[in-house]
Amino acid sequence: MTSVPEPPAPPFAAVEELASGGPVAVGAAVPSGIPGRAKTELIQRILAYAALTVISLLFFVPFLWSLSTSFKPLPETANFSLLPNTWTIAGYRSALTDYNFGRYLANSAILAGSVTLTSVFMSALGGYAFARLRFPGRNILFFLVLGTLMIPDQLRLVPIYRMLTIFPVTHWNLVDTYQGYWAIRMVSATALFLMRQYFLTIPRDLEEAAKLDGAGYFKTFWRVMLPLAGPALAAIAILEFQGTWNDFFWGNLLLQSAQHWTIQVGLAQFSFQYQTLWNSLMAGTMIALAPVVLVYLFFQRYFVAGVASAGVKG
Amino acid sequence: MAVAVPRSRFRRRRRPGAAREALVGYGFVLVPMGVFVLFFIYPMVYAIYISRYDWGILGPLGNVGWKNYSTLWHDTLFRRAVKNTLEYTIWVVPAQMALGLLLAVVVNQRIRFRTFFRGAFYFPSLASSAAITAIALYLLNINGLFNHIFGLHVAWFFDTRTALPAITGLNAWTTSGTMMLFYLAALQAIPTEVYEAAAIDGAGPWRTFWKVTFPLLKPGHFFVAVVSIIGAMKVFDQNYIVSRGTGGPDYATYSVVLYIFNTAIHDAKLGLAAAAGVVLFVVIFLFTIAQWVFFGRQEAA
Repeated sequence: MTSVPEPPAPPFAAVEELASGGPVAVGAAVPSGIPGRAKTELIQRILAYAALTVISLLFFVPFLWSLSTSFKPLPETANFSLLPNTWTIAGYRSALTDYNFGRYLANSAILAGSVTLTSVFMSALGGYAFARLRFPGRNILFFLVLGTLMIPDQLRLVPIYRMLTIFPVTHWNLVDTYQGYWAIRMVSATALFLMRQYFLTIPRDLEEAAKLDGAGYFKTFWRVMLPLAGPALAAIAILEFQGTWNDFFWGNLLLQSAQHWTIQVGLAQFSFQYQTLWNSLMAGTMIALAPVVLVYLFFQRYFVAGVASAGVKG
Repeated sequence: MAVAVPRSRFRRRRRPGAAREALVGYGFVLVPMGVFVLFFIYPMVYAIYISRYDWGILGPLGNVGWKNYSTLWHDTLFRRAVKNTLEYTIWVVPAQMALGLLLAVVVNQRIRFRTFFRGAFYFPSLASSAAITAIALYLLNINGLFNHIFGLHVAWFFDTRTALPAITGLNAWTTSGTMMLFYLAALQAIPTEVYEAAAIDGAGPWRTFWKVTFPLLKPGHFFVAVVSIIGAMKVFDQNYIVSRGTGGPDYATYSVVLYIFNTAIHDAKLGLAAAAGVVLFVVIFLFTIAQWVFFGRQEAA
């Protein structure tokens, strides 16, 4: 067994180009002497801008409207003024203090932080081994890793819930604990796969040099390969952070008591009870969105690379 | 004619340090493999095992063979969940594809701030389902902005006729950015010469799109459709949040995954829930295989 079938993904090069916002001119014309071309292009441009305006409204209005509401005092949420007449952070204050969003925020930070940390480290270590080290059964094990990508979370719901209620052998009850949540997410096959692919692209010369200097395997990995994998590590850190921060499915299933709720679970629970406290609900929503927005603004190009393999949420 | 080959050529020669390298390799993959086996592969087998038991909250009550599967078949609630999920899928998949393609075509034009718009249209795909659903609850409430703009008076998520369509629209909107990226990649795989040829033939932009671009996007359509179908069958978060976990009003938003969740957590019928999970997995798996076969053939061609 020499090659392992890999899951289908759209061409990476193209996606990377999209990410960098590089030149993409397919369909848009190259200037040429074809008669009627100028007019055709003009029509095309006008259509594009008209569509763009409508779509932009569709995409921006919900977020901006919610943002505006989060700064309104409660009585004002009943009218339809675009901006608050009186700007206030009362919605944020009550969400954070009266309705415990501070605690949910801390829980989310702890869980997303620890999951990201272990996932990046473990996937780099495993990805390096699968890319470079030779050991019997390597291809079979890697095939197993890819196989896990086909097991949907929805199938795992019942067995994982049961396993965490009474953990095999040790009989721990890990439901409603940080540890249980962290354990099932501490490394992801997608991250490991992406790291392996990245390490395969790094030339071997540098490792050989390290080996000649007498560096051991871990030292070579830690001192030589890891620093070279910066972009891949960043992309995976972002992918894992965003995935864990946004997770509702597992948090809602496993973190049952209010003191353990993540921001997403807390936000949903708040909407169950106080649906008409619109300013606080929207403030909580903005708080839940903020970290991902910030990371997205600063590291946009790393996001798209992950899309190809991460698939789509429900 | 026999060729004399020295035996040693056939014997596996050991590289110096191979044993050590193998040991280190196992060490490096030990924790990830442990996690994958314990929390992915074992649960898959365990799910099938549980699905063959009458299983309460305290543990297995007895092996019932495939009875849980026949119970599912006759369960009106499960049937309702399947019907809702199919109905949702039938509407949301074309909507996601159409929106994704529209976005891709628009941001593939030579327009100003192209990178910005691409980033902006992709953003809802990155926002959490809970946040997006909270925004939808706000905009679509009976006194909300949507009703205000269109002069309507509909409680979208609380009316049996509109709850599921509202979720469909919401998710089509949310996911369209991801579909846009897939379509952009597919659009860029079309060679420029094709458009030049169409222009020489005097085809306008409309005709060029429908007669040239659209058919050439076939692999893209297929990829997006399968991704979209698989995503649609897993629908849960939005249904759970708008209905407070009930799948209401009157089971209008009860999806298959919501059935699995409620059967396992609230009714403590783990065997039945696991059986529903296995059924869902088999259906998703068939679509995954279809995709592998299709793209395997594409690559071979």
